[in-house]
Amino acid sequence: MATTATISISSDIAPGFGGISETMTLTQAGNLIDIDSTTGFQIRKLSAASEVDLITMANELVEPEDSQAAKIFIRNIGYRDVIDKSVGVTIGVKSEPIGKLYGGDWMMMPLTTIDADDVTATPETADTVVIEYVMFYEEA
Amino acid sequence: MATTTAAVTLTSDLLSDNMSVTASTDCMKAGTTADGLDMMEYGYVDIASGTAYDIIGNTPTASKASKLYVKNHSTDETYYISVVLDAQAVGRLYGGDWMFIPANFHDANADVEITATGGTNKICYALFHEGTVLVAS
Repeated sequence: MATTATISISSDIAPGFGGISETMTLTQAGNLIDIDSTTGFQIRKLSAASEVDLITMANELVEPEDSQAAKIFIRNIGYRDVIDKSVGVTIGVKSEPIGKLYGGDWMMMPLTTIDADDVTATPETADTVVIEYVMFYEEA
Repeated sequence: MATTTAAVTLTSDLLSDNMSVTASTDCMKAGTTADGLDMMEYGYVDIASGTAYDIIGNTPTASKASKLYVKNHSTDETYYISVVLDAQAVGRLYGGDWMFIPANFHDANADVEITATGGTNKICYALFHEGTVLVAS
């Protein structure tokens, strides 16, 4: 029951930079046992420039264990095959902005999954945009 | 134009139908569609346990489209770093874990801070950005 994530980064910014290619297997905190719970893959259509919760930790049907090895993948997939790289959606944790996902951008980050540490999304404009996401975590 | 491309493949067999997601993005400057990020920092450091450090030495220009990659290369799975942004705990990267986030460094307190636990953690990081506030000597 393995979950793996492989990142590949190529860049011609710095001469000699050979790129990055790394794979991680998502495991439980502090051991090599595969992580075993997920929200499943979800999408959320946003049509207002206001903050919403992508994940409200206290409302998860299966309570995540706090401060373990949870991860979330989030991607801005635009809307109806239109991906605008000039506008974005700010992703936050407990309303603290992490950064902005422009059209087509993705992120993978660890989470505390503490009840108050909700994952938030704030579109830059009211133009409709779709965010897809999946969280992997340990059951409390 | 400089070109930086970040791709990911995510697979999981936790669900009854296996999940496989691939995504790739060209990292552009904020608000542009044809001008790529053109500066970067790339480093590898040992972080002793117990003390919080800012992973980025110079503060990138605020509210831009910077992208930050961090991997914990520690081989001991009990070692981890705690990632904190502007006093908000984000999560933990255990040995072997990586993260890739947009980081807009929206104010002076929004540095990415890490604290190692378990022992000396080996951390690789790369920041792709469009300018930093350099510190005068």
